[in-house]
Amino acid sequence: MARDKQEDYVTPLRRFLVGLLVLCLFGIFLVWRIDSPRVERFRAAVVDRVVPSFDWALAPVTGVVNLVQDFQSYQQLAEQNDDLRRELQRMKAWKEAALQLEQENAKLLDLNNVRLNPQLTYVTGQVLTDSGSPFRQSVLLNVGKRDGIVDGWPTMDGVGLVGRIAGVGNETSRVLLLTDTSSRIPITIQPSGQQAILAGDNTLNPPIDFLENPAVVRPGDQVVTSGDGGVFPADLQVGQVALGNDQRLRVRLSADYERLQFLRVLRAQLHEDITDPGGLLAPTIPLLPPLPPETAEIEGPTIEATDG
Amino acid sequence: MAEIPAVQVMTKRAVFAALAGIIIFLYLLPLDTRPDTWPVPDFMLLIAVVWTARRPEFAPVAVIAAVFLLADLLFQRPPGLWAGLVVILTEMLRRRSKQIRNMPLLLEWVFVSVGIVAIAVAYRVIIAIVMMPQAPLGPTLIQLIMTILVYPVIVGMAHLLFGVTRPAPGQTDSLGHRL
Repeated sequence: MARDKQEDYVTPLRRFLVGLLVLCLFGIFLVWRIDSPRVERFRAAVVDRVVPSFDWALAPVTGVVNLVQDFQSYQQLAEQNDDLRRELQRMKAWKEAALQLEQENAKLLDLNNVRLNPQLTYVTGQVLTDSGSPFRQSVLLNVGKRDGIVDGWPTMDGVGLVGRIAGVGNETSRVLLLTDTSSRIPITIQPSGQQAILAGDNTLNPPIDFLENPAVVRPGDQVVTSGDGGVFPADLQVGQVALGNDQRLRVRLSADYERLQFLRVLRAQLHEDITDPGGLLAPTIPLLPPLPPETAEIEGPTIEATDG
Repeated sequence: MAEIPAVQVMTKRAVFAALAGIIIFLYLLPLDTRPDTWPVPDFMLLIAVVWTARRPEFAPVAVIAAVFLLADLLFQRPPGLWAGLVVILTEMLRRRSKQIRNMPLLLEWVFVSVGIVAIAVAYRVIIAIVMMPQAPLGPTLIQLIMTILVYPVIVGMAHLLFGVTRPAPGQTDSLGHRL
């Protein structure tokens, strides 16, 4: 009986508080929807605080799990070894060809007096965590604002493009992978030179969008960034064209997405900002040069002639 | 003994919070950065649901809200939305936990599954209403089905490992209140 009486006081109060809590949570969601950047900064701050605090555990646990996985694949090693030997034989021939081409390229660059962009340096970071959700493809790096990371910089592993920085905390930064559904990267397909967009769709091989002429693109073609829009530097290796099961052209990424461990964040130069929208459209009148006297003389009779 | 000392309840609450923390940690491990072909079940939701359906006093609403909000922030989900829906679901289960106690497992399973499906649908509807990009439907459905299928396993584990059992008839807490 005592319990029933007590519940009469407690239950409505509790219900009210829980209602308030739910309202708060939905309120956070609404605020995020309305003013996303501010809440995202808060999110970055939380990630910045929480993730490095269990950094000490992340690395060993990941290491142990990888060790176990490696051990499981031990049986396949012998078989794989044979395959690799055969492949190596073939690669040796290619290596010779590549060396010759490299020398030739160096010679040609020298002849043309080409200076490769010296501003393209990089910061290397270690992957702390992945996104934790099956529908978002991103990883967290252990470098942040402290190390001069800026939103939008491209990120590569040793070989190919991995993604771009989307969200910078003080000590961590998030890399939006090319496979994420919201990733869109302008690309060029070589050798045809077709421009297109690489649109992530949550699969390992993202499809190619907005391709003008698919007829000239063949599986195996090289895909590099095009640098369109000034967001990305041009000519970063992305991958190779492949034909998907659904007959769409997709890109087999060069970066090893299976094991992203150390990533390079390229210090891309900041592109120019357009600050005055009016100046582009309407040229101001004082900028027009005064008419030179000779033109006036020449034009004078012509006008008269047409009039008469 | 039929009594549960208040200290033990606090310990069980701490265990619940720690378990949620460990699950977040495991999801965050960068084991495989390729997109999953088979999304894993939502274990966070499962433990919240199992705990509130069987022993609501071990999973206080404040802890559930805090843990899910943290998960929203860390997993790059819209912050607050999923947490709010989970709080609503767990509160409904909490209020009906006395009825759930008398149900056979199969019926409890169906009951809880309906709840999980309801908040998953509500989530997608709200995302559609505020015009945000939706997660792809296929993997979401697979995840939902796997989450529901794994429910009895989590019930068993909670029972055996963490002592989350339905209260026996007549069991009281340390203040003599009936559970």
